[in-house]
Amino acid sequence: MQISKLIVSSVLSVTLFAQVSWGQIASTELVLGSPSAVSSEAKVSQFVAREDVAKAFEEMGVDPKTVELKLASLSDDEINSIASNIDTLPAGGDGGSIIGAIVFIFIVLLITDILGLTKVFNFTRSVR
Amino acid sequence: MATRDYLFFLCATAALFILSGCVAKDPLPQGKVYPSTSINVPFISPRQDLCGSTSIQMVAQYWQANRNYSPKLSLQELDQRTLLPLKGGTLQVELVSTARANGLIAYPLEPNFDALLSELSAHHPVIVLINRSYSWYPMWHYIPVNGYDTTRKEFLTHFSDQPNEPIGIKTFAELWKRSEYWGVVLLPPGEIPASATSKKFLRSVYELEKVGMVEEAIRSYQSALMRWPEDSDIHFILGNSYSRVDRLSEAEESYRRFLLRNPNHPLALNNLALLLSKTGRKTEGLALLDNAVSKDPEVQKMLRETREEILKK
Repeated sequence: MQISKLIVSSVLSVTLFAQVSWGQIASTELVLGSPSAVSSEAKVSQFVAREDVAKAFEEMGVDPKTVELKLASLSDDEINSIASNIDTLPAGGDGGSIIGAIVFIFIVLLITDILGLTKVFNFTRSVR
Repeated sequence: MATRDYLFFLCATAALFILSGCVAKDPLPQGKVYPSTSINVPFISPRQDLCGSTSIQMVAQYWQANRNYSPKLSLQELDQRTLLPLKGGTLQVELVSTARANGLIAYPLEPNFDALLSELSAHHPVIVLINRSYSWYPMWHYIPVNGYDTTRKEFLTHFSDQPNEPIGIKTFAELWKRSEYWGVVLLPPGEIPASATSKKFLRSVYELEKVGMVEEAIRSYQSALMRWPEDSDIHFILGNSYSRVDRLSEAEESYRRFLLRNPNHPLALNNLALLLSKTGRKTEGLALLDNAVSKDPEVQKMLRETREEILKK
């Protein structure tokens, strides 16, 4: 919790600083029609969203340094798109499907054991 | 009795799944002919939970071999940035942001076969997200799609441990549908997706610029200008990027080209006025600001502040 707050504030201060050094230049975003957080309310909700994502990343086993890297490369829109539903989003990662398949077969056999159609495991008691 | 019901239920469900697989129609758009393609994307063996990282690496190596592009991240860095250990995989936004950190433009593919086949025809490999299993037992997986065989109706993919594994179009359609046809085209600076629209492409490039790769972004904006010469906004965007890296005479030229078509555009007048005052032409800059009018209070404020800043100097 503490760490994620630190990370977010450091990332945020970098972005704010970058904006200041740009002076009064009208940004490209205004022309592309996707203005970033300009009002102070929007900035606060952006801050909160970043903090939520940082926390979720930590809970998913990412070390604090990597959380910082990940957050820095995500745009505001991307942060908003995952902040509220990160737990249910798909995460592609299936290089070795064998374990998954074994688990799957295990469950199927368990069900058929319980139904009394098979007797693969010693610990099951059929409903028959 | 109850057992028989269960059994019936199981069989019925199985039959439903099998049948729904059989009745899949040809998903390709009617009346269009796509040539067979096979893109020579280097193959990397799969590793547990790291298909996101591996997919980026394979596509990056392809571009490294074929264009003036060098990856910014090592395979270890890609792994570290893409992996969510307890989720055992990579989120879609992470795949996109990591590819960007690696110096590639990540263009979100339109979710349909027409866009996919157009990119393959242009020799752009596409990374797609698929679900290898059903939604009640999802097995999400990223794969690079490297080609299409028209006669056999098969996609060529680095699916698993075999390079260029063919997947029949109907199976591919079933697996891809489950991610709502999600895909991304990763391109080196200067290259434009075959299926791109101007604004969506410029936005993807701007994302690259925002993470600090301004020179790379400039190369892509320049290509965009060749592809969509009628889109004058690109001049404004280029003006801003040139200013950011202190290529001031090019920035000035870009703003002036934009103003030729949009003479009273307050944002461009504002930026050019600042640039002129920065290069010792204060009076000319202030004169430009006189022409800048806007009803938007935010813009009015910006113009006022610019005038004050120029006068202070």
